[in-house]
Amino acid sequence: MRRVICGILCVLMVLGFATTAFAGINGEVKTYGTPFLITNAGQGPGGKMARLLVSQTGTVVLDTDYFYDSEPGAEGHGTLDDMDYTCLVVVIGSTDKGLGASGITIDDELARLEEMVAHAKEIELPIVAVLLEKDKRSDIPTNANERCIDAICPNAEWMIVVADGNTDGRFDAISEEYGIPLTIIDTTLDFTELAKQAFIKSE
Amino acid sequence: MTESKNTKISVKLLCLALALVLAAVAGYSFYDQRHYKETVVVSDALTDVRWLSDYVPELEGTFGDTPIFVFDSGVEGGSLLYCGGTHPYEPATSLSAFIMMENIQVEKGVVYVIPQCSFSATTLGVQGNAYPPYFTIETEWGEQKYKIGERNTNPLDQWPDNFTYINYPSGQSQAYNDLRNLNRCYPGRLDGTFTERVAYAIMEFIRTEEIDISIDSHEASIMYPVVGTYVAHQNAENIAMMASMDLTGNGIFDMKYEASPNSLKGFTHREWGDYSDTLAILMETPEPFIDRIVGPITEDLMMTGQDLFLSFAGDKGLTYVEYSEENNYSWPMEVRVGRHLTGAAKCLEYLPMFYPEKEVIATWPSYDELVEQGCGAFLHDPSTADPNQVYEIYCERYEYKGPIASKEEPAAEEPAAEEPAVEEPVAEEPAAEEPAVEEPVAEEPAAEEPAAEEPAAEEPAAEEPVAEESAAEEPAAEEPAAEEAAA
Repeated sequence: MRRVICGILCVLMVLGFATTAFAGINGEVKTYGTPFLITNAGQGPGGKMARLLVSQTGTVVLDTDYFYDSEPGAEGHGTLDDMDYTCLVVVIGSTDKGLGASGITIDDELARLEEMVAHAKEIELPIVAVLLEKDKRSDIPTNANERCIDAICPNAEWMIVVADGNTDGRFDAISEEYGIPLTIIDTTLDFTELAKQAFIKSE
Repeated sequence: MTESKNTKISVKLLCLALALVLAAVAGYSFYDQRHYKETVVVSDALTDVRWLSDYVPELEGTFGDTPIFVFDSGVEGGSLLYCGGTHPYEPATSLSAFIMMENIQVEKGVVYVIPQCSFSATTLGVQGNAYPPYFTIETEWGEQKYKIGERNTNPLDQWPDNFTYINYPSGQSQAYNDLRNLNRCYPGRLDGTFTERVAYAIMEFIRTEEIDISIDSHEASIMYPVVGTYVAHQNAENIAMMASMDLTGNGIFDMKYEASPNSLKGFTHREWGDYSDTLAILMETPEPFIDRIVGPITEDLMMTGQDLFLSFAGDKGLTYVEYSEENNYSWPMEVRVGRHLTGAAKCLEYLPMFYPEKEVIATWPSYDELVEQGCGAFLHDPSTADPNQVYEIYCERYEYKGPIASKEEPAAEEPAAEEPAVEEPVAEEPAAEEPAVEEPVAEEPAAEEPAAEEPAAEEPAAEEPVAEESAAEEPAAEEPAAEEAAA
C-alpha cells in the first residue's frame, strides 16, 4: 500500500513539474543546435520581436549563436549558405504600416519567400514557422498575412503560434493537412521560454 | 413707385443686417476658438515652465509658441518628453497630457510635458467639417471644457498652401497640405514655413535638453491599419516591442508594434530619432470620431466613440481594432486616455532594461484607474486650487509661478526669487542657439547615418529608391482623400 501511495505521489510530482516547466507552452518542443537564422515573412515586426525574445533566454547570443536577417538572399543581405545554420526561423506577419513603405509589394515579398523556401529545401535547412502577433488575419484571400502563411507553413517542419493568432483554427487545419507539429504558446512573451528549450547552444 | 423703391431698400437693409448678425455670430465663434484657454491644475511636482520660444525666439508672440511643463525630481536619471496635441483633432492626446500634468509625481529623472505641440492647430475646427469645437468632461466639482482642434496649422498662421510640399531636407514629395501638418514637417528649419519652424523648435528643445526618450501621442481612425499601435524609431524598437508584448500578452489592452519605415520622412518617429539622440516612439489610440463613414459628428461621438454606421463595418471585420458588441461598439474617451497614459508608462518601465542609466521613475493615473473612475476623477477644480498650480494653455508667454505653497516656503516670495532664473535662459538661449540654427544642415550627413546603418541589417535594400511612392501612399492611408481635399 505504501509503495502504491509513493508511486502515485511520484507520478503527481513529475506531472506537476512538467506542467510548471511548460507553463504557457502547449505541444511538442523540437530542439535545434546553433547557429540558427531568424527572418521575416511579410516584413512585419515579428522577426525583430523573435530576435529580442530569443536574446532574453540568456542561453544563446545574437550574432554568435543566432542571427537575424530581414531578407536573406536579397541584395545587400546575407544568404542561407553563409553559415551551417541548423534551422531557419521564419516569423510570419505583414506590416500594418504598409509594404509600400518598405518599397516592395506583397507580390515581391511572396516571390522572395518562394525562392527562399526553395533554396532552404535544396540545402535541407529545416524551416520553423512562427506567428507571434495577435490575429491580424481576415477571411479576405488577398490578405497579406494569409498569403504569407500559405507560402511558409506547408513547407515548415514545426509551427509555433501564439494562441491569439489561431482563434479561427487556421494553424490546426494546416497542421492536420500537412502533418506538421503545432505548438501553441499562450502569449508572445512565452516564446522566450520556448526558445530556451528549443535552441540549444552547440558545444 | 417710391413706395416700391423704399421696400427694396428696406429688404436690402434687412439682408445686410442679417448678414452682419450672421457674420458676428460666426466671427465670435472663430474668435472664441482662436483664443480659448484650456485650464490645468498642475501637480505640485512642477518645477519649471518653459516655452518653445526659449529654444527658437522667433516663435515668441506667435501662435506657434507653446508651454513646456517641467517636472524635475532632482534625482539624477533620464528624461522623458511626453507630447500631446501634435494633431489637436485627436484630443485624447492633450487630455492625457493634462491628466498626466495634474497627477504626476517623479521620483527619478525629469519629465517634460508639451500638452499642445501644435498650438496653432488648436485654434480652429477641422475645415470643411461640422465638427463640434469643444468637449466637456464631467467632474464632481462641475464641467471642464477642452478644445477639439484641427489636424493642421491654422491658415491664419500659414497660408496659402503650395501646390506641392517637399519635406526638408529629405526632398521627399508629400501631400500638398501636409505643409501645415506638424507631423510631416520634421526635422523642420528656422527659415522655413511657420509649421517647419515649430517642428524645428521642438527638435531644438529635444537636442538642447538631451531628452532620452520622447513619446508623441496620436489617435487614429479605427479603419486605419496603424491604430492601437506603437510606431518606433529603430533606436527605440526594443522598448516599444517589450511594452507592446507586455500590454497585449498580459491582457491589459491590445497594443501592436510597427517599425518606423526609413523611407517615410517628416514624422516624429523617424526624424526625432534621426536628428537627435532621443529614443523616439509614437502611439496611436482608436478614435472613431475621425473615421470616414460615421454618421453625425457630435460631441457624444467624440466622447463615446459609438456610431451606428461604423458598427456595420465592425460586424464585417473591417476595423483594425475591436468594434463589436464585446466593447459595446465604443471607444470612450477614458479608455483612449488610459491607453496613452499606461502606454507611456510601459515604455518608461522598459527603458532601464536597455538603458539603465536613463531610468525615469514617475507615476500618473493608469489605464485601469481611468476605465474605472473616468477622466473627471483625475481633474482638479481650478477655482479651489492653489493659484500657483493653475495654468492656462495659451501662446502668450507666462512664467513659472514658483513652488507650490504647501510644498515650500511662502508662495508669494518664491516667484520673485525664481523668475529671474527662468528668464535667464530665455535671454541666453537664443544667443547661444542662433548660430546653431544652421547646424541641422550640417548635421544632415549624421542623419543619414542611421539610414546607412540600419537598413543594411534590418530594412529592405529596396526601400530608399521608393521613397516617393511611400510618401504618396502614407498620407492617403492616414488621411482619407476627402479630408485632404477639404483641408
